[in-house]
Amino acid sequence: MGKDGRIELMSPAGDWASLQAAIDHGADSVYFGVEQFNMRAVSTTNFTIEELPEVVNLCKEKGVRTYLAMNTIIYDHDLSVIKKVSNTAKKIGVDALIVMDQAIINYARQIGLEVHISTQLNITNIETVKFYSFFADVMVLSRELSLKQIQKISKQIQREEIMGPSGRLVEIEIFCHGALCMAISGKCYLSLHSKNSSANRGACKQNCRKKYTVIDQENGFDISINNEYMMSPKDLCTIDFLDQIISSGVKILKIEGRGRSPEYVAVTTACYREAIDAIANDNLEEKNPDKWRERLNSVYNRGFWSGYYLGKKLGGWSEVSGSVAIHKKVYLGKGRHYYPKSSIGEFIIEANAIHLGDKILIIGPTTGVKEIQVNSLKVENHYTKCADKGQICTIPINFRIRNSDKIYKLVKNDVNHYLTKK
Amino acid sequence: MLIITLQRNKCIGCNYCTELSPIHFRMSKTDGKSVLLHSVEKKGFFTLKTPNDHDYENSKKASKACPIKIIKVTKK
Repeated sequence: MGKDGRIELMSPAGDWASLQAAIDHGADSVYFGVEQFNMRAVSTTNFTIEELPEVVNLCKEKGVRTYLAMNTIIYDHDLSVIKKVSNTAKKIGVDALIVMDQAIINYARQIGLEVHISTQLNITNIETVKFYSFFADVMVLSRELSLKQIQKISKQIQREEIMGPSGRLVEIEIFCHGALCMAISGKCYLSLHSKNSSANRGACKQNCRKKYTVIDQENGFDISINNEYMMSPKDLCTIDFLDQIISSGVKILKIEGRGRSPEYVAVTTACYREAIDAIANDNLEEKNPDKWRERLNSVYNRGFWSGYYLGKKLGGWSEVSGSVAIHKKVYLGKGRHYYPKSSIGEFIIEANAIHLGDKILIIGPTTGVKEIQVNSLKVENHYTKCADKGQICTIPINFRIRNSDKIYKLVKNDVNHYLTKK
Repeated sequence: MLIITLQRNKCIGCNYCTELSPIHFRMSKTDGKSVLLHSVEKKGFFTLKTPNDHDYENSKKASKACPIKIIKVTKK
C-alpha cells in the first residue's frame, strides 16, 4: 500500500540512474535485481551484492520501499548463493523478495523475510492465492487476467479474510505499464530452444520481437499476413483506465522496464504518480490521460494497448522491432564541472552539436534524469548559438551536475521511417 | 595445446558447460557461476592452457551452447 492509503506505485531500477529517477519522480517502491538471479540477468546492469546496502540506504532515506527480484528458476548449484543473498537482504533491510522458486520462498520464510510471489508463477485463481498465502503477503497476478477476474480475486481475499504471514490481508499487485510477452510469463521456451538462452534464467533473446514470414510447406508460397512482427505485442498502457484498475481492489501497480533507459523510468513513474494522485484527490482538472499518454509516448515503447485487462481476446501487435517513441535521445557529451555559486554546468561535447533552444537530458548515477532547455550557451566565455564536437561549453543549470553525467539531445524520432523500412 | 577462456563475471549459471564438458567446468556453490578448472585469472578472464586436448570436441560444444558466449576454445 502506498502513502495515505493510496495504491502503491512500484518502479523498475535497472541501474543507479534509473533508481535515482524512480525516487525523484514519485515511486513508492522500487524493484531491482542482483547478480544473475533475476529476469533481466543479461539485459540490464543489475546491482552486485556489495552494492545492495547503498541501494537500500538511499531508498530508506527517501521513504521508498525496496524489493529484490530473485525470480528465476533455481538449480541445486544456486542454493547456497540464494541463501547468502537472502541473508544479506534480510540483514540490510530489503523490504521483500520477489520470487518464483519454492526454494527461495521456503528459505525467506525461515529467516522471516517478506515474500512477494512473482508474475512468473502465474496466479490466476483464488485457491492458488490461498495456497501461497501461507508464504507470501503480496502476489503479482498473471498478466493475462481480465480486470473482472482481478476484481473477483481481490474481493474474495477481503470476504474470506485471506491473510499472509504478516497477519495482514494478502495484497494484489499487477503490471500497469511496459512490455508484454507473447507467451504467458515463465512459460516461454522460444529463446531456450533457439539459442540455449533461457528466458527463465533472465536471458531472453526476444525471438518474439523479430519479423517472420509464414510459408506454406506444401507449395512453398509465402502466406500474406498483415504484420510480419506477428509475435511482438505492443506495450501495456493503463493510463486511460487507471481509475477502473484502482477500484478493482489492486493494492500495488508495477511498471515493467528494468532493461529500459533511465528517462523511461522517469517519465513513466511521473505520469503514473500524477494519475494516481489525481484519482485519489478526485481532481478532474488534474486528470488528463491525453497529456500523460503523449508524455508516455515520448519514451521507449512499441505502441500501446490495454493488455488483457479489458477482456480483448486478441492483442495489438507491434509494427516495428524497436521503439515508436516520438522522441529519441542523441548523445552529446559528458559533464565536466559544476560552479555552485553561479549555478553553471560545464560540459565537453564529444559527438554532434548542442544548440541554443535544444531540449537536453542529463543522466547520471547520482543525478538521475533531469530534462532542461538550453536558454543560454557559452563557449570560451562568449555567448554562442552552437557548440560543436570537441568544444567545452557552459549552460546555466539550477542543480548539481557531475563528471559521471552524460548529456543527450532530445530529437524527434521519425517513426514513419521505421514503418516504411519494414 | 588446448586453450579455453571463460569470462566468468557474465555467467548466468545455466549449467550447459558443466553438462557438456564436465572435465573442464564446475558450477560454483559460492556464487552460482561456472568455474573453469585449473585456470589462471587475468582481468576477469580465466584461461586454461593444457597439452591434454582430448576433450576439445566437448569443450567446443560447451562454447557453442553457452547462451552468453563467454567461452572461447582454441587448439594449437
